[in-house]
Amino acid sequence: MTVIEIENLRKSYHDRPAVDGLSLRVERGEIFGIAGANGAGKTTVVECAAGLRPYDDGTVRVLGLDPRTDRRRLLQRVGVQLQEAALPDALRVGEAFRMYASLYQHPLDWRALMDEWGLTEKRRVGFASLSGGWKQRLFVALALIGDPEVVFLDELTTALDPLARRSTWDRVRKLRERGVTVVLVTHFLEEAEALCDRVAIIDRGRVVTAGSPQALIAEAGTDSLDSAYLTLTGRGL
Amino acid sequence: MSEFTTFKGLARVASVELLLILRDPMAAFFAVAFPLVLLWVKMHTADPLPGGLPIVAATVPMLSTFVIGLATLVVLPATIAQYRERRILKRLRATPASSVLLLTVQWAAHLLLAVVGTVLLIVVGVVAFDLGAPANTGSVVLAWLLGAMSLGAIGLLLGAVLPSTRGATVIGLTLFFPMVFLSGAMIPRELASPSMRSIGDLLPLAPVVQSLRAGWTGEALSMVHLGVMVAIFVVAGGLAVRLLRG
Repeated sequence: MTVIEIENLRKSYHDRPAVDGLSLRVERGEIFGIAGANGAGKTTVVECAAGLRPYDDGTVRVLGLDPRTDRRRLLQRVGVQLQEAALPDALRVGEAFRMYASLYQHPLDWRALMDEWGLTEKRRVGFASLSGGWKQRLFVALALIGDPEVVFLDELTTALDPLARRSTWDRVRKLRERGVTVVLVTHFLEEAEALCDRVAIIDRGRVVTAGSPQALIAEAGTDSLDSAYLTLTGRGL
Repeated sequence: MSEFTTFKGLARVASVELLLILRDPMAAFFAVAFPLVLLWVKMHTADPLPGGLPIVAATVPMLSTFVIGLATLVVLPATIAQYRERRILKRLRATPASSVLLLTVQWAAHLLLAVVGTVLLIVVGVVAFDLGAPANTGSVVLAWLLGAMSLGAIGLLLGAVLPSTRGATVIGLTLFFPMVFLSGAMIPRELASPSMRSIGDLLPLAPVVQSLRAGWTGEALSMVHLGVMVAIFVVAGGLAVRLLRG
């Protein structure tokens, strides 16, 4: 069953196209990667799909809803971890969980979620005093607080050390086991290869190719998704 | 239409926001402690007022207006601008809460800040300076609420149009301080010169000060003042909501 359907999406900033006729489909229960270089248009796609940004042209349906007209109904069922976002400096971790839980109709038990993400020991720490890795972890956990059917994770592990990255990957796999559809935006191809069922490679606002990491590696005739990406986007040496 | 699931959820967000304001030493000092210092200074330096009105009965309503003005015209726009500038608002917009409602919660939290400041002024006035009960409590409450709503709407509007925290703070203070002096929140109206009064009476702080003082001493509230406060609330609030939604 298709949960996200994007057809010919276009979005320009000051006449410069960021997304230029992009189409993709995400099926229920998969971890779908949107991979590409910085500035390829990945974040714009996510923000359009989550109703956070108006788009110029095309069709977007998430869980059958139009994010432009049904943003708030959609966000009851869709969680978003944004690349650029913040909480008030003085807001403590525990307060953030409690407060964000109260914004949803059917939130998860925030104490259990805080525990699951290892944040209970930090519950009295203010946002400004958290390191980048802890902030990242907090944002991922907050994206899950409304018990979403679909989660967008934008640069999930950028700020994490290798150990924290592996444990975050495990938690994302557990989400899939629970039937949550995950859309993972990343420029880190190793992550896409390790985690995703399917990956769309995006370049200059369009999908170059999409498929399972193994299929893309085979298509490019390389040994990793990293080099497959370079070959498929024509950016190889 | 249910915005948050419950009123409890709404109250929770507002109380967290109030806590955040009080954790900011600047806001807490100027809205809560500073007015008490002003009260103490006034009570030790002010000359008696014409007509034999006890100084404290004029000063507490005046400084309550100071507190409302500071919370709504200085702290509120700075908070909203900061939420936008630092992308705190962007994260909140990625939840099902409506942005207008989130800003209404901000407004409510800043009114709570003004409640804290006002209650402290009254308590210290009663305990230390022999402040009598208001002659008409209902009028005082009505004047306070309408004042907070009208100035709060102006604060929301400032927050909606001013892009940066720094800009919002500077503009808020630039509007607030002259108004406080001209409209009789620092210097009693009856001691101001006629020219000062004629300017001050045109400013949005004037109906707040005068209604609060009238309620405290038992004079009838002026319908013009009440009407002006309601009009400011409707016009500035309506504009702010339209701008903030966009």
